[in-house]
Amino acid sequence: MFSDRAPVFRRARLLAGGAVPLAWYNLTAKKPRLLRSSAGIGFAVLLMLMQLGFEAAFFNSSLAVIHALDADLVIESVHKYSFAAQQPFAPDLVAKAGAVPGVASASPLYADWYDSFWKNPFDGKAFLVRTFAFDPDRPVLRFPGVAAQAHKLTAADSVLIDRRARPFLGMDREPAASEINGRQVRVVGNFALGPDFQSDGTVITSAQTFRKLLPGTGAEAGIVTLAPGADRNAVITRLKTALPPDLAVLTKGQLLDREEKFQAKVSSAGPIFAMGTIVGFVVGMLISYQVIYADLSEQLPQYATLKAMGYRRFYLVGTVLEQAGLSALAGWVPAFVLSLGLYRLIAAVALIPLAMSARIAVVSLALTLGMCLVSAGLAVRRVLAADPAEVF
Amino acid sequence: MKVPLAWHILAHEKGRTALALLGIFVAVLLVFVELGFFLAVPRGGLLLYDNLRFDLMLASNQYEYQAQPGALPRRDIDRLREAPEVASVAPLTFAYAKWQAGDGIWPDIYVIGLPEGMPIFTKDAVNRALGALARPDTILVDKQTRAMFGPLRAGRQITLNGHRETIGGVYRLGTGFMGLGVALIGEKNFARLFPRRGLAFANLGLIRLKPGIEPARAAADLEKRLGGAAHIFTRDALAAHEVAYWTTRTSVGIIFGSGLIIAIVVGIMILYQTLASQISRQLPQFATLKAIGYTNRTLSVTVLAMALLLLLAAFVPAFLAAAGLYSVIREQTLLPVAMTEARLIAVFAASLAMAAVSALLSVAGLRRAAPADVF
Repeated sequence: MFSDRAPVFRRARLLAGGAVPLAWYNLTAKKPRLLRSSAGIGFAVLLMLMQLGFEAAFFNSSLAVIHALDADLVIESVHKYSFAAQQPFAPDLVAKAGAVPGVASASPLYADWYDSFWKNPFDGKAFLVRTFAFDPDRPVLRFPGVAAQAHKLTAADSVLIDRRARPFLGMDREPAASEINGRQVRVVGNFALGPDFQSDGTVITSAQTFRKLLPGTGAEAGIVTLAPGADRNAVITRLKTALPPDLAVLTKGQLLDREEKFQAKVSSAGPIFAMGTIVGFVVGMLISYQVIYADLSEQLPQYATLKAMGYRRFYLVGTVLEQAGLSALAGWVPAFVLSLGLYRLIAAVALIPLAMSARIAVVSLALTLGMCLVSAGLAVRRVLAADPAEVF
Repeated sequence: MKVPLAWHILAHEKGRTALALLGIFVAVLLVFVELGFFLAVPRGGLLLYDNLRFDLMLASNQYEYQAQPGALPRRDIDRLREAPEVASVAPLTFAYAKWQAGDGIWPDIYVIGLPEGMPIFTKDAVNRALGALARPDTILVDKQTRAMFGPLRAGRQITLNGHRETIGGVYRLGTGFMGLGVALIGEKNFARLFPRRGLAFANLGLIRLKPGIEPARAAADLEKRLGGAAHIFTRDALAAHEVAYWTTRTSVGIIFGSGLIIAIVVGIMILYQTLASQISRQLPQFATLKAIGYTNRTLSVTVLAMALLLLLAAFVPAFLAAAGLYSVIREQTLLPVAMTEARLIAVFAASLAMAAVSALLSVAGLRRAAPADVF
C-alpha cells in the first residue's frame, strides 16, 4: 500500500527543491498499469489513425492525376463535373489557346477511362484501364519516371505502363509487349502511380498511338503554362474570349477543389471514415476515463493529504490534467509508431496512397489530448470532493 | 456460485460497471458497423443481380464483374434458346451515356438495355413499369439517381448522347455501384441510342430453365453446347464471383477488414481494462476467497463469468443501436447495409471471443492474490 503513496510523498518532500513532475511520478509509479492504460488508449488512437489515413488516401488517390498535371491553367469542357468524366473536344482548339498572349505553352492531354482494354500478357485476359496520351516532346503528366522516358514514346505503338497497377493486370511483372483494344503495343518503360477507386491501372502513350487505339477521341484537356510575368487572370479572360463557350478555363486549384467536393458528395468515403474516427474518439474517451478514474481512486488518500497540507484546488486539478495529458501521449506515441508500419503494409497490399501526413499527426494528437482531458475533467470531481478527514 | 459471485462484484459498484458496459457497447457497435461495410460493398455490387429473375447467367469468357462484363454475340444467345432445358433467355446490354441537360454539367448515366415485354425483375412494380419502354425513345429512371440529373418526373424530355429521350417514369431498385444514375431502355431504343453498339452483341444473358431442371447440371451442359465460347454461372457461383471481385480486387476488403480487426482489438482492450481494474481493486477480497479454500480455477471462471455478463448486457443494446445505425447508413451512403441472422451470429461469436481473450489476459492478475501479502 505504501508504494502507492510514495510518488506523492516524494513530491512533497522535494517541494522546496523546485518543480518536480508529480504527474509523471503518478503515471509511472506502477509499470504494469501504465502499460495497460497506454495499450487501451493506444488502440483507440490507432483506430482513429487508420480511419483518418484511409480518408486521406481515398481523396489523395482521386486527386493524384490532377496534382501531376504540369499546368498553370487547364482548358476542358464546361460539362465536366469530375476529371474522369470523359468529355473530349477538338484538339486544334488547344493550338488556338497557344496563340493567346501570355500563354507560354498549350498542349493537349488525351485521356480515356471507358474504352481501353489492356490485355494481361501473362493470362491473356483483357481489363479496362485508363489511358493518357500527350505529345512526347511535351509530357504534361509529372508521374515519377514519365518525363525521363517520354522520348521513347516517339516510336509507333509504344506505351509506358504503371508498375503500381493492380497485380491482375500483369503490369507489375514488366512485360515487354501486350495488346490494347486488340492492337499490338510495345512496353518501353514504366512509372509509379497506382490505382484509384475508379481505375485499376494506367497506360501512357503518344497522341499518335492514342489515335490508333481509340480512333476519333479528341483532347480531354488543354494544359496551359503561363509566360514569365504574365497576369494569370488577364490570360484566363483572353483564353475564354478566344475559345468557344463550351470550353472552361480553370486553375489547377479550382480543378482540385471541384474534384474533392465531387468525391466527397458522391462517394460515401467522407461519412464512413468520419464515423470510424468518432467511434475511436468515444472509445478512447471511455478507456481514458476508466484509466484516470482508477488512478485517482487509488491515489485519493495522497490527494487528500495534499489538500490537508494546504494545496489549492487549482494545483490539484492541474496535476490531474497534466497526468491525463501524459496518459494521452503514452497512448498516442506507440499508436503513431505502429500506424507508420501499418500504413506502409496496407499501402503496399491495397495499393492505396496511405501515408502519414502532418495533418493526420496533428489531428490525431489533438483528438487524443481532447479525449483524455475531457475524461480527466469528468474524473477530477472525485479528487476535489476528497475530504482529508474521511479518507484515513 | 461463480456466476452469482461475478454478479455481486459487478453490481457492487454500479457506476464503474455502467461505464464498462458503455465501452463494450461501443466496441460491439463498431464491430457491427465495420462488418456491415465489409459485407455491404459486395452486396452493393450484387444489387442488380439480386433483383433479377434468372436460374443461370450467360456471360462472356472476358467477364470480370457486372460493370465490366465483356461482349456476348447474339448468336450464342439464340443457340441457347434452342436447348431443350431452356425456357427463355433475356439478353441485357449495358452502356454509359451523357445526360446532356443544358449548359451545365453532363453527368454520366448507366443505361441497361433489356428485351421488351419480358418481366425480368423480381419486383412486380418494376415489371409493370417496363410497359412504358415499348414507346419509342422512352427510358425509365431509377429513383435513386442523384439530384444532379434534375427532376425525374414522367414526361420530361432530356438529351442522351445527342438523342432526344422522354422519361417514362421512375422505378425503385437502387443504383449500387453502377454509377450516379441508372436508366432502363428497351433493346430497340438501345440500338438507336448507341448506333455503334447495335444489336449484334449483348453483355449478359438471363437464362430461365424449364421446371424441374437442376441448374448446376444444366450450366455444365449448356456451356458444352456453346463449345466453351462463353461462361454460364449458377446464381450461387455468380454471387461468389462478385463477392470475390469486390473483396480481393478492390481496396474494400483490406480497408474494412483492417477496421474490423482493430474494432475487435479495441473491444478486447476495453473489457480487459475493466476486468483488470476490478481484479486489482478487489484483490484483498479475492485473496480472502483463496484463503478460505477457493481454487485459482474457480476464481478464473468467476472472471470469465464477469466478462460474459458484461458482454451480454452490452450486446443487446449494441445490436439494437447497430440496427438503427444501419438504416442511417443505408440512407446516407445508399449501400445495402442490413441486419441479417448470419451477421448477428458472427458478431456475437466475435464478441464471445473478445470476452474469452480479455478474461484470459486479466486472470494473470489473480495470481498475485496471495492471502499473506495483501493484508
